[in-house]
Amino acid sequence: MVFLEFDFLRYALIIGLMLGVVAPAAGVFVVVRKTPMIADAMSHTALTGIAFHLWLASFWVWLSEWNPLYTGILFTFIVSFIIEYLRRRFKTFQELSIPVVMASAIGLGVVFISLADGFNNDLFNFLFGSILTVNVTDTMVIGIISAVSLLLFLLFYKELLFLAFDEEQADANGIPVQRVNLLFAGIVAVVVASSISILGVLLVSALITLPAAAALRVASNFKSMFLYAIVFGEAAVLAGFFVSYYYDLSSGGTIAVISFAIWTIVVLAEKVAGRIRQRPWEAAKWTDKANQ
Amino acid sequence: MEDSTNTLLEVNHLSFRYESELVLDDINMNINHGDFVGLVGPNGSGKSTLVRILLGLHKQYRGEVRWFGTPARHFHQWPKIGYVSQKANRFNAGFPVTVYEVVAMGLYGKKGLLRFLNRKDKQRIHEALEQVDMLGYKKKNMGRLSGGQQQRVFIARALVSDPEVLILDEPTVGVDAASAQSFYERLSYWNREKGITLILVTHDVGAMTKYVTKVACLNQQLHFHGTTREFEESDLAGTYGHDVHIIHHEHDHHAGGA
Repeated sequence: MVFLEFDFLRYALIIGLMLGVVAPAAGVFVVVRKTPMIADAMSHTALTGIAFHLWLASFWVWLSEWNPLYTGILFTFIVSFIIEYLRRRFKTFQELSIPVVMASAIGLGVVFISLADGFNNDLFNFLFGSILTVNVTDTMVIGIISAVSLLLFLLFYKELLFLAFDEEQADANGIPVQRVNLLFAGIVAVVVASSISILGVLLVSALITLPAAAALRVASNFKSMFLYAIVFGEAAVLAGFFVSYYYDLSSGGTIAVISFAIWTIVVLAEKVAGRIRQRPWEAAKWTDKANQ
Repeated sequence: MEDSTNTLLEVNHLSFRYESELVLDDINMNINHGDFVGLVGPNGSGKSTLVRILLGLHKQYRGEVRWFGTPARHFHQWPKIGYVSQKANRFNAGFPVTVYEVVAMGLYGKKGLLRFLNRKDKQRIHEALEQVDMLGYKKKNMGRLSGGQQQRVFIARALVSDPEVLILDEPTVGVDAASAQSFYERLSYWNREKGITLILVTHDVGAMTKYVTKVACLNQQLHFHGTTREFEESDLAGTYGHDVHIIHHEHDHHAGGA
């Protein structure tokens, strides 16, 4: 396949396939906890870290050897704990912690951008994602992050499920709510920041929330929601890669659009299925017609 | 009180303030193994706050709460205490979770971190569902059940960890009179036959007095009326006023009563 003859494309595809598992898996919890904005808040925080790195690199040249994304991942990881702290501190307006952090992070990020050279090509790639910039080190770093995150999801599956469903009851049953919440925030932070590599800051939430949102419509139990989300995520990544390659489109944008298409198809299919279930006599007519 | 080995829950001089408002004022209460306590009080009387303190969810209180002789602040065996929240059925109805998965949650605290459910646990989940006549629904989506059915599932979740005490916060809200009665009968059966201690929190004094063995009335202060008969003979108005001093009766030990 022509596609795989280029090293960077191979790396990007491997990264995409890994993120196609772990981003929708994180998305499942993000969606059922009703905090979908967290993905956007985290990705914009990563941008702040990236801008900070670019600024530092403007006078410490040795820093430009490193992918600024790593600074972004570190920033996001730290800020996730700040969000959790604010959520706990201001219990009656928990949802405000996300916009408070997001607005401040973007503000700080833009200040760093102006301190560094202003808007350049690097930054553009981070905003919209680029498969041209990934190398073998990135593949390994994101591979480790994906593997560890997935392992933690499996190990703390029961606590994460209980917390998402009924935090008060989990607390009453002796689940260490605060620590599990912190762990979850940390995982989501690094998964979101890693996803920036191919999706870009503005499009990360597409791979986090859209496959999970589609899975929500079809899953009959919580385990199957994971499977559906991962299947939808992988489908979006694979289709997005090939379509963007052959038609010379932005990979992140294409993955996001295909994720949206999957969601739309699922919602429409659900509507049709619901109608058939509701009116069995009409469904019978339909099949009769189909048989004729 | 003389027989401390039989004491399951002990509350001494418990007070709780929310901002400047005194929500609970010097609560004293003893609950023994095998009691079926009805904790009644009007809306806003502090019932739910008291329950949250008992469950270790509120920690900023004055006074002492002891479970099985251990101060609540140092108590770790929370799975021994089953709890069905008043808000349990306010979950997100679109959450793709089955009845079986919800009941399984009741075992998570007991299992502890990094441990998975085994065959015995799965058997236990089936038994708990059987106890509330919901085994046939185990693969059903939680959001598709009726309010009464959901509530039975939440009770199964509380029962699955074999608790010694079950705390039910307003369990009959939104349930019709006939269902409420059969529900109380079932509770009474578990209390008598299985020896589960029950604390039933409700603002509905009516039907419940037939089944409980002790009644406590809460309205900022606790007026412990001892046996159900004494409660019925007493003046309920005391709960709603402030000038009634605490009556502390022990169900089994009349000698020490006042």
